[in-house]
Amino acid sequence: MEKKKSSLLNGKWVAKGNFDVTFLLIVLALLITGLVMLFSAGYSYAYYKYDNSLHFIIRQGIFAVIGVTAMLFISKINYNYFRIFALLGMGVSLFLLLIVFVLPQWKEGFYRWIAIGSFTFQPSEIAKIAIVLFYAWACEKWEKEIKKDWKFALYFGAVAIVFAGLVALENHLSGAVLMAAISVAMLYLGGFNKWWFIFGVGAVMALIIFFVANPDLLKEYAGERIVAWLDKDYDPRGARWQTNQSLNAIGSGGFLGQGLGESKQKHLYVSEPQNDFIFAIVCEELGFVGATAIILLFALLVWRGFVIAMNCRSKFGALLSMGIVFQVGIQTILNILVVTDTIPNTGISLPFFSYGGTSLVMLLAEMGMVLSVSRASNLKK
Amino acid sequence: MASKPSKLMIKRAGILLALVLVLGFGTGMVRLAKLQLIDGEEYRQKAELQQLGDSSVQALRGTIYDCNGRILAQSATAWKVFIDPSNIKVNEKDKTEDEIKAELEAKRRMVSNGLAEILGVDAESVYEKSLKTTSGYQKIKGEVELESKNRVSEFISENEYYDCIGIEPDTKRYYPYNSLASTIIGFTGTDDVGIEGLEYKYDNVLTGIPGRVITAKNGTLGSMPIEYTASYAAQQGTSLVLTIDETIQSLLEAELEKAYESAQANAAYGLVMDVETGAILAMSNQPDYDLNDPYTILSESVLTEIDAIEDPTEKNEAVSVARQAQWRNRTISDTYEPGSVFKVITLAAALEEGVATKDMSYTCVGGIQVANNYIKCHKHEGHGRQNLQMALMNSCNPFFITVGQKLGVEKFCEYFEAFGFTETTGIDLSGEAVPKAGVTYHTQEKMGISQLSSCSFGQTFQISPIQMITAIAAIANGGKLMKPYIVAKQLDEEGNVIKETQPTVKRQVISESTADTVLGMMEAVVSAGTGKNAYVAGFHVAGKTGTSQKIGAANNQYVASFSCVAPGDDPKVAILIAIDEPVGQINGGQIAAPVAATLVEEVMAYLSVEPEYTEEEQTLIDVAAPAVTGRTVEDAKQIADDHNLKVRVIGSGDNVVKQIPAFGQTMPRNGVVILYTDDRAEEMTTVPEFAGMSLSMARRSANDLGLNLKISGNAFSGSDILAYSQDISKDTQVPYGSVVTVYFKSYSGVSDSIYG
Repeated sequence: MEKKKSSLLNGKWVAKGNFDVTFLLIVLALLITGLVMLFSAGYSYAYYKYDNSLHFIIRQGIFAVIGVTAMLFISKINYNYFRIFALLGMGVSLFLLLIVFVLPQWKEGFYRWIAIGSFTFQPSEIAKIAIVLFYAWACEKWEKEIKKDWKFALYFGAVAIVFAGLVALENHLSGAVLMAAISVAMLYLGGFNKWWFIFGVGAVMALIIFFVANPDLLKEYAGERIVAWLDKDYDPRGARWQTNQSLNAIGSGGFLGQGLGESKQKHLYVSEPQNDFIFAIVCEELGFVGATAIILLFALLVWRGFVIAMNCRSKFGALLSMGIVFQVGIQTILNILVVTDTIPNTGISLPFFSYGGTSLVMLLAEMGMVLSVSRASNLKK
Repeated sequence: MASKPSKLMIKRAGILLALVLVLGFGTGMVRLAKLQLIDGEEYRQKAELQQLGDSSVQALRGTIYDCNGRILAQSATAWKVFIDPSNIKVNEKDKTEDEIKAELEAKRRMVSNGLAEILGVDAESVYEKSLKTTSGYQKIKGEVELESKNRVSEFISENEYYDCIGIEPDTKRYYPYNSLASTIIGFTGTDDVGIEGLEYKYDNVLTGIPGRVITAKNGTLGSMPIEYTASYAAQQGTSLVLTIDETIQSLLEAELEKAYESAQANAAYGLVMDVETGAILAMSNQPDYDLNDPYTILSESVLTEIDAIEDPTEKNEAVSVARQAQWRNRTISDTYEPGSVFKVITLAAALEEGVATKDMSYTCVGGIQVANNYIKCHKHEGHGRQNLQMALMNSCNPFFITVGQKLGVEKFCEYFEAFGFTETTGIDLSGEAVPKAGVTYHTQEKMGISQLSSCSFGQTFQISPIQMITAIAAIANGGKLMKPYIVAKQLDEEGNVIKETQPTVKRQVISESTADTVLGMMEAVVSAGTGKNAYVAGFHVAGKTGTSQKIGAANNQYVASFSCVAPGDDPKVAILIAIDEPVGQINGGQIAAPVAATLVEEVMAYLSVEPEYTEEEQTLIDVAAPAVTGRTVEDAKQIADDHNLKVRVIGSGDNVVKQIPAFGQTMPRNGVVILYTDDRAEEMTTVPEFAGMSLSMARRSANDLGLNLKISGNAFSGSDILAYSQDISKDTQVPYGSVVTVYFKSYSGVSDSIYG
């Protein structure tokens, strides 16, 4: 093993060692549960919209197969080679984030999608993993400098601000928040001086409080989301419709749920139940018990990712693994907080569950990276 | 270049992990616990409220059939249209208060006018309902049929009034025969609850169990695919099979209506009962009403009276009274003095007790002294010496007073009670008149010689028509008093019998031999007595006439009635016909008996009862015209002769090319068949007015005009019978040889009252 580690340039592209079965099992458990719930939550809407109850599940199923294949393939690659993508990924992401501004708008004022044929994807999906790769690489490369030289801290911070800012300009507020959260987590794990965070967290808190207090200063769309979150009686058939219906669905689930497939709220009450609000249908059908079990699965995924990282022999691998699972974790948390009306409705999907082919493939590819890291870790597998 | 995670990183990883798990996932789980475990019920109710906005499905009411399965009343699916005034809203964004007000007003008008036009309701009343903004449900119209419902749906979707106007299932009751048996069947109110007749009496049975539909709505008020609907089907109510026979009912109603009109009466009512079981085969009141339109008054004379009233309050009251009157089932709810019909009861009791015998004789001198009163007989000069049978035939009052006095108060009351006159019959209809001791009839304690005397011939007490016919049926069936009934069976949704009414014998009132004796005497009443107008050849009709003055009413108001049993030698049905307040002829024998005769003739034919003719009757019965067309004239003459018919040949050919009457047509014995032997046009003749002619005059007239005369009614009662009606109206051009049925009745010896 020692030999292999030093023979980076010898072309050992194929990773040796076994991957972490526990992590794979958690991923597959989430994937299968997600597919089942997608079918259950989405068939009614698919029936009305596409006249075909199987519309979503067939497409998602195809992408799941592609994604699992990609995951297994990537897990065989020696993770050390992912360093190559650190700068490349940043470049591609930057290009894509900029190009959406000149592409036709998907919806008035929204730039977040790129369409290739009949498939659409969000550049921010790629940017999320690119920024994880970049920070993992950079924090390893300039490990000492970032502790001493405040200029490095500024450069690193600037990267985060540029990316999050671009996503925000696409009117993709949740994406920007996510991007910022990932950046902050990476820099924190990478060893930045803690004062940056104390100052940074304070500044972010102040910013949030400012906008919550003055929602009209934000763009109309985002502002209305905040108003709708603050005023529970605001426009019940409009801005708050989705959230109210989500709460009705979650509440209807009770302790044990209505039973798999038995949701009533998915029948055109919860808008697009296969998408961002799929977790509301999960809660309605599986109850508090089922919903908690799924949250615990996500928690397990995060925990296992961190365990893999702690047993990794390189800082890059550790940061990569933690960055990926953190990203999944934070996205899950934000999604759950949105459907439970804990934070404003920002439009954030639930990993493994929400409908979306490209993001599922991306997600599984990232899981493949974690598995690849796990092959080289000292973990008892 | 690669190095293990530093201690700092491990420490920070631990902190971050804890933050994510506790702060992130922890918060999520706490929120879920709050929403699902603490507030779950509240959200579930909110969700259900929108998902199950309308969850009840009305059950169809049971069907009502006649005894042959013909549908008399049936429910079908319909719809109810309502508005939700609380949801008639407009977009208030960027508008002044006045603009909002104006827009709301316009929207309400649109809704009101649109619904009014489609549903035929008053637009203003819909508008007023739309102003009740605190209400979420204002019914506009129920029993809406498919076509109108579809138009309402279109109206809703065209204008996007999904929140304002709603449609829900309802049912509508249909009565295919309109007025047939209306006072029996009754009708339902707008809420599908029976309010008259059987619909009221059997409301619990007929009403079904409402069903539920869970998840009838999706989020956009569209229809849900059926597999997402958990529904508990509505259970149709139990169906009723009546003892009523639609054919007999129609015959009774047609005859009663004619009698009601020609007598210019207040009402006419009649009953036909199966004497063996007590089942009611027909029961009618005239005038009656249309079950599909029960609030409209049908009687033209009543309408004319109402139109004459000018005061609006009085007019409304009159309308209301008239409605109640046309809904009233007089055959069970009204009481009357039976008059001479009741003499058969007195007779039966006296014979049973042995206080009178067939040979008993008495001389009527035109009246009798009872206590301080001299009671006159309707024949002022007196009937002279009569035996019991003759007394019944003549309906002699002094004779029956004597019989009643011989019977005595105690026995009279005993039989009065035994025949069921002191109790309700228990028929399964609501509104039966309840006899009241001391009010509607004399109690034994208070019955003196005067009361006994008048009761003996059916005066000074009141009974209901259903009681009378039940007692007559007891005489007809060998002395058994039956409990009359009208619902034969109850059927479940699949048509299985779940309950069947068994005939109930209340008691043996008189012996079979007494019953036979009375029946024999009643037959004589019809063949030669006051009931002769009820005569029907071949059926030995046994009956009794009655004419009574109405107590408490203004002077000169009578009830003319006739009750009979047919066939007299093997009783099947009992019939009671009563005409309330006739004008002109007022005797039961004059106006009620002919109705019964027509009815017996028709009902016996319908029930395929074989007539048994006497030798005398044989000479007059009708024959079916034989087939002679195509035969030689000689052959035709021979065949006609074999059938007791004559022929008249028109033409010069050798073979018959055409015959009138046609093959199979009923024609009188000894009638003439016209035979054409070539293709010439039929020779025509004109039908005369037969009314008022005697039998021999009518025969002569028919003969002269080349018509075949078919006689209906009593042809044996001597020279005093006169034609009163005919089936082909006068001045009609008909071919030679056509058969004209002429109805005869007797105008003398049929009176049994001192009044007419």
